[in-house]
Amino acid sequence: MGRSSYYHPDTMALHSGYVPESDYGSRAVPIYQTTSYVFDSVDDASSLFNVEQGGHIYSRISNPTVAVLEQRLAALEGGSGAICTASGMSALFTTFITLCSAGDHIVSSGQIYGSTATLLRHTLKRLGIETTFVSINDQGALEGAIRANTKMVFCESIGNPGLEVANLPQINSIASQYGLPVVVDATFAPPGLCNTIESGANVVVHSATKWIGGHGAAVGGVVIDGGNFDWEASGRFPELTEPYEPFHGIKFWEEFGPNALAMKIRAESMRDIGACMSPNNAFLLLQGIETLNMRMKQHIANTKDMVQWLQSQEQVTWVNHPDLPSNPSNVIARELFPNGAGSMLCFGVVGGRAGGGAFIDSLKLASNLANVGDSRTLVLHPGSTTHSRLTHDAMVAAGISEDLIRVSVGIEGIKDIQADFANGLRAAQHVAESQS
Amino acid sequence: MKLMVNGYEAHVATGGKKFEKNLPTVLFLHGSGLDHRSWALQTRWFAYNGFGVLAPDFPGHSLSKGAPCVTIEDSGKWLADFLDAMGVREAHVVGHSQGFLSALELSKLRPTALKSLIGVGTAAAIPVNPMLIETAGRSPMKAADLMLQWGFGHQTQMGVSATPGMQPIAIGRQIMGNNPLAIDLQCCADYWGGVDAVGLVTAPSAMILAGQDKMTPIKAGLAIADHLQAKLVVLKDYGHMLPIEAPKQVLVALREFILSVEKQIGASSSS
Repeated sequence: MGRSSYYHPDTMALHSGYVPESDYGSRAVPIYQTTSYVFDSVDDASSLFNVEQGGHIYSRISNPTVAVLEQRLAALEGGSGAICTASGMSALFTTFITLCSAGDHIVSSGQIYGSTATLLRHTLKRLGIETTFVSINDQGALEGAIRANTKMVFCESIGNPGLEVANLPQINSIASQYGLPVVVDATFAPPGLCNTIESGANVVVHSATKWIGGHGAAVGGVVIDGGNFDWEASGRFPELTEPYEPFHGIKFWEEFGPNALAMKIRAESMRDIGACMSPNNAFLLLQGIETLNMRMKQHIANTKDMVQWLQSQEQVTWVNHPDLPSNPSNVIARELFPNGAGSMLCFGVVGGRAGGGAFIDSLKLASNLANVGDSRTLVLHPGSTTHSRLTHDAMVAAGISEDLIRVSVGIEGIKDIQADFANGLRAAQHVAESQS
Repeated sequence: MKLMVNGYEAHVATGGKKFEKNLPTVLFLHGSGLDHRSWALQTRWFAYNGFGVLAPDFPGHSLSKGAPCVTIEDSGKWLADFLDAMGVREAHVVGHSQGFLSALELSKLRPTALKSLIGVGTAAAIPVNPMLIETAGRSPMKAADLMLQWGFGHQTQMGVSATPGMQPIAIGRQIMGNNPLAIDLQCCADYWGGVDAVGLVTAPSAMILAGQDKMTPIKAGLAIADHLQAKLVVLKDYGHMLPIEAPKQVLVALREFILSVEKQIGASSSS
């Protein structure tokens, strides 16, 4: 079970990671817009480089503003540590490359974000890391895909865009039998909606760009070490249990235990890959976190209303949301997301692909763009954008049909969203009528 | 490194460098339910600056095998056996909380084994509420939660960390919740020999105490410092978990004291 703070999550969202500084008493987290930090002395510099003390050396490795965001996100997820990165994709790449080497293997859910699927299917394969895609809630398929060289089970807590909720307790139960960590991209389930670590994740990744930031103003990602995986008992991770030559032969597990992975990412990936978050972006994301819980309540309320409303519209052919009994993962969704399984929904309209296009082009309030989790309502046609690189079979496996419209429900007045969508549905109706 | 002590494998951290017994040794002892990682940000400096470092996990804790010691006296005996197994005759002994009680027992058994004695966030007796021990027996994680709420000072409770990006409460929770916390707490509750043991200490000593310590209140530590005529350092803004929440300040205090003792030893041996 993960826990990093004894304050209420609403309090953590406002305070964790920062107390006003003694020098100036700045109440807001200051933006440390600096590349580097003056050492007290040669000995001080030496001890920082040798991890004899904590502190900042160079902003590619760590930065005080970014560290506040890291500590706040670790607190909200109940993790032992967090590393922020330039984007959600760099958080994923950093996680994969820290735990896997050439010759290793990943078992992944087939229902994941298109760019993540491409990273696994093509980019990591080019580096000698293979991935087997499975239907993640199919116990037999998951267990059958695990090999001697498998390093992790990867899934999204709510799959993008098919909205299948991963059965994290069941996945953890299978993965732990084989000494495998469960790595979860929880972007669609920001902290507060689901206790991802308690439910079975060992590592949690977020694109902080989405609900965490919430305002569409900054790109960023985070890897959160759950601190609940025994890397030594697993026997599969010499990267963490054996001497690491570039750091005087340090053994991360022996030295740091529950935060071994976070420390390894800091020491290796941030140094070598350098996909660091800018302090200004960290500041913007911190502003978003302060109101995350309040925004999520409105996101969820609007989503519930929109799901009901769409179901009552004759131009809508189907609606998908994990809270609906028709969603195959509805039972586990209700268990893991007692207050509502997020603010993403999908639906189809009359007129198929052309009808979907007409719907989107007719919207005035909702924005047609490749992002989710903004406070504003966003729509997208994945088949021609985020998932366009996938083959037909891969699209089907990812739960995508040609008419699928993905909606990230915002926090505007619900009547205004519905009025905008009503215009779009009328446009789809015209297309359908012209086809008949 | 691993070594056998009394027939069981013990894990001892050496600060990231191979232990050299011809160097002055510093022995770091962890507190209840914790392990060598309490000292992660002190041990490396000593190992890389002319000392041999030993930070063992007590038996049955984290990476050490064997049954946990059931009395403080047993843990003192285990330390003597451990030093014998390492071939170490004397060391600067640093004990956090319960680790200091074990150090006192080592001092009683082997007065000459202590070049110096340093207590960190501790006292000569650590009474424990029976309800906490009972809770630890039923649910170590729940007891760890209670101890971490009392153990860390305000800054750590607010999620501030000396190591960027890390969350000491979650780290401590994972370690304490999986170690024999109830046995450790019972050891502390049953131990009343500390004051007598303090009276027998002849080695130079220091006490590093926390102003916000709710587990071993500072007045108890100050009394021991007075009794020992110890060098006293009070870190007023921190709680009981000093080595973790104020690692740099603890390191500065430790190195100033240990270097001064080494200097005195060097001066007296050359005169």
